[in-house]
Amino acid sequence: MTRRTILPIAVLVLLGGLAWFQYSRRFQEYRSDQFLMDTLISITVYGKNQELLRTAVAAAYAEMRRIAELADGFPQPGTAAWRSSDICRINDQAGKAPVPVDDDTVAMLLQAQKYSRLSHGAFDVTVGPLMELWGFGGNNPHLPSPEQIRAALTLVNSEDMIVNKQDHTVFLRKAGMKLDLGAVAKGYATEKAASVLAQYGIDKALIDAGGNIRVIGRNSRNSPWKIGIKDPRTSDAIVAILPLVDTSAVTSADYYRAFEEQGKRYHHILDPRTGYSATHTISATVITKDAGLADILSTVFFVLPAEKSLELAATLPGVELFLVTADSRIRHSPTLSGTIEITRSDAYRYDEGR
Amino acid sequence: MTKGDKLLLAVLLLFSTLSTGLLYSRFSSFSRSSSALQAVISVHGDVVRTVSLPVATRTALTVQGRVGPSIVEIEGSRVRMREAPCPGRICINQGWVGQPGQSIVCMPGEILIRIEGASPLDGVTR
Repeated sequence: MTRRTILPIAVLVLLGGLAWFQYSRRFQEYRSDQFLMDTLISITVYGKNQELLRTAVAAAYAEMRRIAELADGFPQPGTAAWRSSDICRINDQAGKAPVPVDDDTVAMLLQAQKYSRLSHGAFDVTVGPLMELWGFGGNNPHLPSPEQIRAALTLVNSEDMIVNKQDHTVFLRKAGMKLDLGAVAKGYATEKAASVLAQYGIDKALIDAGGNIRVIGRNSRNSPWKIGIKDPRTSDAIVAILPLVDTSAVTSADYYRAFEEQGKRYHHILDPRTGYSATHTISATVITKDAGLADILSTVFFVLPAEKSLELAATLPGVELFLVTADSRIRHSPTLSGTIEITRSDAYRYDEGR
Repeated sequence: MTKGDKLLLAVLLLFSTLSTGLLYSRFSSFSRSSSALQAVISVHGDVVRTVSLPVATRTALTVQGRVGPSIVEIEGSRVRMREAPCPGRICINQGWVGQPGQSIVCMPGEILIRIEGASPLDGVTR
């Protein structure tokens, strides 16, 4: 062989070897969808070991299902699902006796109670009697009478929920009280699923729990995940885009469970202080690492007036807020300036930095 | 060059182009499989219809969900649930979707409509 042929051969061998090396340690995308917690949960993970990806995702779903069962508010009494639901058993014993519960139930309720206090009742996990009165848990929501709302309001107060951390028990003081974990359990379960994935060594993942987003690491192109926020009034549009790394984004909005009666529109996010749908804001998105906290805070900031929400968010470390208000304004935490991309400044009033 | 050299060269050339091709195909599938815009409709996890978007004429599709037939409407590049047998109406309230990554979910029917395609977005909160 002459020198003239050795050189190209060497180059080709090198190229081929490099390609094989890359191929053998390539990233795989593994995606799975499951109906759970009254919504669709999608988990997408990236890694080099297919078997590990599959195992990790299965374990993450199992953990979410466990939390879902603890927090399920609607199974038929007497069924296995009812007995395995801490929330059903606590509600059943309201006004009677403390109920022994799982550590995760204790953690969810303590976190919920903390933010009830912080928001002076703008968020309350004991909102169950009101939700039931309006029929938002079921199929036929309707406008209750003012008297009915007044009566239900007397049963809504987190301070009448006694969570005993030592004994792992929960007691609702008044008969008729009812917990509703609609603004808590999905986020909490999402965060638990993220920890499970991390325990398996997954460092690139996106969990989409019915629009609650939790990301681990960066995306497949090694950039921050680009997450859109749905336009609350034009459903096929995106109002803003967030670059996210190792954090979560949760939106509370008024377009989900809604109905019209006597010419007025009502939706499922009730102000626990008035008993009626909150009206200041039409979409509130919270960006913070803990998806459970993001879930709770998105409801808090949906209910509070925009000014109050932005003030409160500024006092919470690592918490950022994006709002579309009822008067068609876009407001957000000052720390989001420079990273957030507003895509619908034509449809909403947006003064940057305000 | 001898005949053996030429053969060796040909084999190596084939090997390297194949493996380089493989490398690039892997990278591209890694950064999203399909770039054409389409609506993918599935029931209980099984894909029942895939519709390329946009559609030329407004189309209504009947999808057999777990609680009965639902009607999915497609107009241009957007899709919505027009009629559903479920009492909650949450799927209908979700309105039109048309951005890749957006989806409509009907829980009782276990129907999922997802818009797929090349997207600048990795996900959408709602």
